[in-house]
Amino acid sequence: MTGRAVWISLPLLAGCSGVQSVLDPAGRDAQVLAELFWVMLAGAVVLWLLVNGLILYVTRIAPQPLSRRGAEALIIGGGIIFPAVVLAGLLVYGLSEMPKQRAEGAGLTLRVTGHQFWWRVEYWPDGADAPILAANEVRLPTGQRSEIKLNAERVIHSFWIPALGGKTDMIPGRETRMSLEPEKPGTYRGQCTEFCGESHAYMAFGAVVMSPEAFDAWLEREAADAVAPETQKARRGQQIFLSEGCGGCHQIRGTPADAQVGPDLTHLAGRTTLAAGILPMSHSALRDWIADPEAFKPGVEMPGYGHLSDDDIGALATYLMSLK
Amino acid sequence: MTDSRTSSHPAPTEEEQAARPVGTYPPTQELLDAPDDPQARAEREAQLREAWKTPRGWRYLSAVNNTEVGAWYALSAFGFMLCAGVLALLIRVQLAVPDNDFLSADRFNQFFTMHGSAMMFLFAVPMFEAISILLLPAFLGARDMPFPRLSAYGYWCFLIGGSFVLGSVLFNVAPKSGWFMYPPLATEQEGIGPDIWLLGLSFIEIASIAAAVELIVGVIKCRPPGMRINIMPLYAWYVLVVGVMILFAFPPLIAGDFLFELQRSLDWPFFDPDRGGDPMLWQHLFWIFGHPEVYIVFLPSIAIAAMVVPTASQRPIVGYSWIVLSAVGVGFLSFGLWVHHMFTTGLPSLSLGFFSAASQAVVIPTGVQIFAFVATLMVGRVKMIQPMLWIAGALAIFTMGGLTGVMVAIAPFDWQVHDTYFIVAHLHYTLFGGLVFPLLGGVYYFYPFFTKRMMSDRLGRISFWTTFIGFNVCFLPMHLTGLMGMPRRVASYSSDMGWDWLNLLSSVGSFIVATGILIFAWDLVRPKRDQPLAPRNPWNGGTLEWSHDVPAEAWGSRSVPYVSSRYPLWEDDKFLERLDGGRFYIPDAPEGKRETLVTSAVDAEPQGALPITGPAWCTIWAAAFTGGAFILPVFKLYWLASLSGAGAVACVVYWLWTATAQVPKAPDRDVGLGLRLPVYVTGFRAPGWWAMFITMLGDATAFASIVFGVFFFWTARPDFPPEGAAHADATLIALSALGFVLAWGATITAREVNRRGRQRAARALVGAGVLCTLGAAGAMGLALWLPGMAPSSHAYPATMYALGVWVGAHSGAGVVMLLYCLAGSWAGKLTPRYDADLVNTTLFWHFLCLMGLVTALMMGVFPRLAS
Amino acid sequence: MVLAPTVWAFHFVFCYAVMSVACIKLGAPDIARLGVAALTVIALGIIGFLGWRAWVQWNFRPGDNYKHDRPTESQRREFLGHGGFLLSIVSAVGVIFDALPIFIIESCI
Repeated sequence: MTGRAVWISLPLLAGCSGVQSVLDPAGRDAQVLAELFWVMLAGAVVLWLLVNGLILYVTRIAPQPLSRRGAEALIIGGGIIFPAVVLAGLLVYGLSEMPKQRAEGAGLTLRVTGHQFWWRVEYWPDGADAPILAANEVRLPTGQRSEIKLNAERVIHSFWIPALGGKTDMIPGRETRMSLEPEKPGTYRGQCTEFCGESHAYMAFGAVVMSPEAFDAWLEREAADAVAPETQKARRGQQIFLSEGCGGCHQIRGTPADAQVGPDLTHLAGRTTLAAGILPMSHSALRDWIADPEAFKPGVEMPGYGHLSDDDIGALATYLMSLK
Repeated sequence: MTDSRTSSHPAPTEEEQAARPVGTYPPTQELLDAPDDPQARAEREAQLREAWKTPRGWRYLSAVNNTEVGAWYALSAFGFMLCAGVLALLIRVQLAVPDNDFLSADRFNQFFTMHGSAMMFLFAVPMFEAISILLLPAFLGARDMPFPRLSAYGYWCFLIGGSFVLGSVLFNVAPKSGWFMYPPLATEQEGIGPDIWLLGLSFIEIASIAAAVELIVGVIKCRPPGMRINIMPLYAWYVLVVGVMILFAFPPLIAGDFLFELQRSLDWPFFDPDRGGDPMLWQHLFWIFGHPEVYIVFLPSIAIAAMVVPTASQRPIVGYSWIVLSAVGVGFLSFGLWVHHMFTTGLPSLSLGFFSAASQAVVIPTGVQIFAFVATLMVGRVKMIQPMLWIAGALAIFTMGGLTGVMVAIAPFDWQVHDTYFIVAHLHYTLFGGLVFPLLGGVYYFYPFFTKRMMSDRLGRISFWTTFIGFNVCFLPMHLTGLMGMPRRVASYSSDMGWDWLNLLSSVGSFIVATGILIFAWDLVRPKRDQPLAPRNPWNGGTLEWSHDVPAEAWGSRSVPYVSSRYPLWEDDKFLERLDGGRFYIPDAPEGKRETLVTSAVDAEPQGALPITGPAWCTIWAAAFTGGAFILPVFKLYWLASLSGAGAVACVVYWLWTATAQVPKAPDRDVGLGLRLPVYVTGFRAPGWWAMFITMLGDATAFASIVFGVFFFWTARPDFPPEGAAHADATLIALSALGFVLAWGATITAREVNRRGRQRAARALVGAGVLCTLGAAGAMGLALWLPGMAPSSHAYPATMYALGVWVGAHSGAGVVMLLYCLAGSWAGKLTPRYDADLVNTTLFWHFLCLMGLVTALMMGVFPRLAS
Repeated sequence: MVLAPTVWAFHFVFCYAVMSVACIKLGAPDIARLGVAALTVIALGIIGFLGWRAWVQWNFRPGDNYKHDRPTESQRREFLGHGGFLLSIVSAVGVIFDALPIFIIESCI
């Protein structure tokens, strides 16, 4: 951030921070756009005060007739010349920013697919011929521009991580793309921004920015199979998982569960959130979710497992929470 | 579609020479100064009063006069607005606190969908049309709109359709995919919600287009003598611009609805990517409508401001030409912005940059408009009358919306704020500033004109400040809410996000706005019988509407004036006296008919004094049956719907047959001031001809949108047309094209032959035209059917079939018109001299022939070239 | 009077078509940019001509108040000329704005 922008925005930043805030940027594109916003805001405030001050002045304070000639000059100056010049400047800046923000990424490629109402995430490191599969969380390294390919399964969604940059829609039958260049490690949040049905409000995801070293280490762990359950309870949970047919939709690599219908759960507990960004990753939240997903996400395709005993659901949650 | 059908052929024949105005024009000073005879005057007033009498009792509903229909229209639109406002309040209650369960997500989605749809389709556009129907004749010193029954028909359609669409909320079956109805979400939604939206609103859109046609014709043909286009009131300019915008903006949406509904009921996959369709096509068609729509609702309000500002400043507007230029400029440029609603859909940067640039360019004419008002205020001596307060508030709010508009027109910035609450704030700033505030100011300003009584100044000021403050409390924080990442259309949010206090503030603000609007509504409807009548010209305005009588008379303008300046009430001190004395044109109704003056398009030279239609029930029946034809398919009652459609056609034919283009008793009449005018005109001198022409321009736009769809698929999809796909049969297509040309030729020849008095030959030609049309449409159908093209298999055969259905339906209309002429010829309604029906049918045929030929090219030639 | 904005509209539609076909169908941004540049030169030429004609019709005289508010044929003609001239300016600005992207954006992505 340039020095001046810091100075302008400091007092305001306190009210603008947040994991999903445009004004609390952590990536190159968001940074540029936040600065652009502050500049445009300052200009807008000045112009608004000028125009409305003028109206107030002539109607209330000093209603003093102006000559016709002066009036015409006002129309030409204020209506044509001034906006044409200012807008041309703004436009040129805006246009020149566009190719930069859409530049092709190098190194890592992500492929994110929008489902009702969750995200399938594939990591394709440079030269990989098979993806590393995950869901409902996006992790990106700093210091490079990562390419993100976007698809949608049934309806249109939109992929947006405000702290890192602008959004792009995911459209069935098309592949759209974008790229992001994160700068500040941290945990942020993204959310679906194209209305996609009943639980549109409950379709978010965690976005974690890591240093390149940390990212590589994480990706290596993520590529591995799930850890085997270690405790008695977790082992029972795994059995319930398999016997209840959870594997008919979900994949946990390293177990017989290998379906692709729902989110991949191989490293579920390693994520920051549960159920596409709407619940904390905790044992109790997971229990509640398994018992009655509909209560948190109306219209969700996952059936509820309220018919299981509390004990069974607890074991299931314990197993899943062990999948770091 | 067309009332009062009268017209003629451009080349003047001998017959026509007789149908020209005879006498003195423009009126001499001597004629204008001639004294009037009090007894004759009373007699004439009695005649007029009788002719323009409003039906009483339950027959009141059959009224068609613009003052009645306009008032019903405006009150209904206001009622729908209040309903949509209640939905907004419920939305705000739900969002007031995080994790709220006041509304289920499903209800919430229905509510926000209906809030947007109702505000746009049931309030913003109809309100403009309502106010214009009420005001336009008065601005133009005319007695009524050119086609009163068409206004009534449009109103009843609007009421039926609006109640149906909005009523669905009560039964929990409302559409719930957003007012933009993006497929695949909307195409896949189960239940009848999307069908209600598509069919109900298409119905209303057609009524809107009908009203737009009428308003355009009103401005072009019903100005008072002498009102050249350089002196017509700015409101009329805006009506003209907005009418033309509606004409070109609504048809793409209607075409989209047409394709959408075909997909929903017949499974033709226009928007299904698995079968060669593309959901993006809908987005294009929707926003080609959707963006001009924003300006369609904004310009009329600016038009109200353009009437209030000169009155408040007590001087003529500064920069009349500038304002006209900006209205026309905005009208054009607003069609080049639609993709800025699609900046995030991943289109090429070059295209985005292009639309980004156009979005910035439109700021210039808009700015000119605003600075012209400021300049007028500066040149004059402003009286802060109460309506002016609303206008000033509107400018304050609108400039803010405009400035955030400049921000979001920068595509990269839009990538951040698109579909967040920042946009919600932006659009409400533009719509409240650009629609609601000027409208309410306009109601305060024109209320004494409508009812001859004043609204309360005190309540008005209280209402203004409550609404103004509430609005800013509600929507200013939303900018920040959006920047902090809150997306639109979310039914709930978590308290971790830091959006709590902002949302609570907005919710509180929304209730303050509601209070302000309620105060206004109370002031509007509270009984004012005991109140004294308002003065005739309470604000001392300069334009013709303030010349109407107090207490009100149903005739509108006592006599149709000769106008020679922009502000006749300011600049001509004898004007009112002459007007009241009936010393201008058509001050009487000797045959007891309602009449209107028809003048030339540019210079407003008188051309005719035409009878116009009076009270009728057939318009209500026609609207009810049309409603049935649109509403019954929602419930899959296709046969009943077809019957209902046939009923609608029958009602319209009855209405046209009994009340329009009647053979007159005498060819012309004395209209006063030494002038005799024909009472039956044809061709481009006739309003009916213009109505047909304008309607067909809109119709051709819808057709062009479907053709655009074909090209769109071709650029966007590699498999269009799919390899090895069956194409329409070339020979049959060629035959079909030939058939259309022959039918067209037969119609034109029939018109010429009829004009020369050979009616038998004309009838034979019309009959031949009918046969050729049936043959052409049949050949086109066979050309698609024989090669086995299956419309539900792929978007390619589906679009070809859609074109076929479109042309087929128009062929049907063409046949009905030809048969109507044939019957008219036999019944003596269509004669060699009075041939308006045939002339208008010929005009329709020019368009139909063109559509037939283009369709033949699209079916027979384009796919073979493209594959 | 509406001829100049009509030229803008055609310029707009053609540019959009050229961009779509060149970028999506052919993947050749340079064709798009060249095409748009050519269209822009043509459009500006026509608008310039129309503007000049409107200027003549306006019959601008220094010192005149050019309100065009009298009910005469010449005032009506001059009014249309004035409006046409102003619309030519707005249309020209619109065309230039629309063409700006081709100088700045070099690729289709």
